[in-house]
Amino acid sequence: VKYVDEYRDAELGRALSIEIAAAVQPGRHYKIMEVCGGHTHAIYKYGIDDLLPDNVELVHGPGCPVCVIPMGRVDDGIALAREPGVIFTCFGDMLRIPGSTESLQDAKAGGADVRMVYSPLDALRIARSEPDRHVVFFAIGFETTAPSTALTLKRAKAEGIENFSVMCSHVTIVPPLKALLESPDLRLDGFVGPGHVATIVGARPFEFIPADYGKPVVISGFEPLDVLQSILMILRQIEGGEARVENQYKRVVPQEGNLRALEALAEVFVLRPHFEWRGLGFISQSALALSDAYADFDSERRFVVPGVRVADPKACQCGEVLKGVIKPWECKVFGTACTPEHAIGTCMVSPEGACAAYYNYGRFAREKVVV
Amino acid sequence: VTDAPVCITCGDVAVPMRVVATGGEDGLADCVTEDGDAAEVDVALIDAVTAGDAVLVHACVAIQRLETEAVA
Repeated sequence: VKYVDEYRDAELGRALSIEIAAAVQPGRHYKIMEVCGGHTHAIYKYGIDDLLPDNVELVHGPGCPVCVIPMGRVDDGIALAREPGVIFTCFGDMLRIPGSTESLQDAKAGGADVRMVYSPLDALRIARSEPDRHVVFFAIGFETTAPSTALTLKRAKAEGIENFSVMCSHVTIVPPLKALLESPDLRLDGFVGPGHVATIVGARPFEFIPADYGKPVVISGFEPLDVLQSILMILRQIEGGEARVENQYKRVVPQEGNLRALEALAEVFVLRPHFEWRGLGFISQSALALSDAYADFDSERRFVVPGVRVADPKACQCGEVLKGVIKPWECKVFGTACTPEHAIGTCMVSPEGACAAYYNYGRFAREKVVV
Repeated sequence: VTDAPVCITCGDVAVPMRVVATGGEDGLADCVTEDGDAAEVDVALIDAVTAGDAVLVHACVAIQRLETEAVA
């Protein structure tokens, strides 16, 4: 497949690895954050960290939408799932995220009608076929996923469907990055930027990082050579005393983003004043709610949602992992009390979660494509 | 090594697909992956597609066109 095979070429990987080694100064430590969970997954699947010099450290960012959902939000979802007549739909990974006492999967086992879907459109199809029930879709995801929810809501409105609503938990990428850059305990030298979020929003939203904080950002694709090349581009900026937004993923990411998607987002959503992130706390204007034009499709306006607030479990250090302050294995419960089968923290549930990526590829079967 | 299941919400699963037929239910396009997995895809966010075009799909929405040779 073009765009896949050519970006996994072992020879080119070795060449990039050598160029990276030549680009760094031996006495200096470089801390680079990959924002997106997809990059974290690729880094551990392909052993990309093993191809880097010891003084180039990768830090895993908050870009896994499942991992950042706080427990209270899961509890709210379960409360909705238990409403009489409700069919509660969500993506598969949300089923296993622990709430304060149980997960959506447990609620399903207890009799709630919880169903996994692959897209919001699937949830709308259920609403069409079961007009006597009310279908709630638990919408999560960054700007890559939000357009799918927006298009589905536009369809639902055009069709006059009355038994469908969305519990909107979409989040935006820039506010948590700002929060991380303001964080005193984390000193980063550059960012591997999220390629598919940028496909929607374009490169401009990331320009504040070099402009206000003097750090380079390279928007990156998801194949191993993409990530290696992006790291090299970041290191070259650092060594050249530069800081700007570069686009390594030009074959997909247009500078201005996807204007139709941005229009759909602007019609259907508004920014929430604040939203709670697991481990990061409340971050202002960091999530989306439905606009007044779509109030009839807002689960939080159609039902009484408890608005539960629950502190993260004490043993779990997902917050520190999400901020890149500690590595997954440094968490007290990593691989012992917390495993993908019995997760305490969200980072272990989603395959893009940093902990699950370490657990799945680091401990058992790290696949190496190069060297 | 088999792939760990990948979460649908992550940008990681924006998959290249080829358009097989257009004008389906509600203007959705029938698409397939290289492995033959089929899906009905909303193509409202990109310029009009025809059979044979390659698109990048996330949560059943095409978010970008790809060069046609991108999908076998």
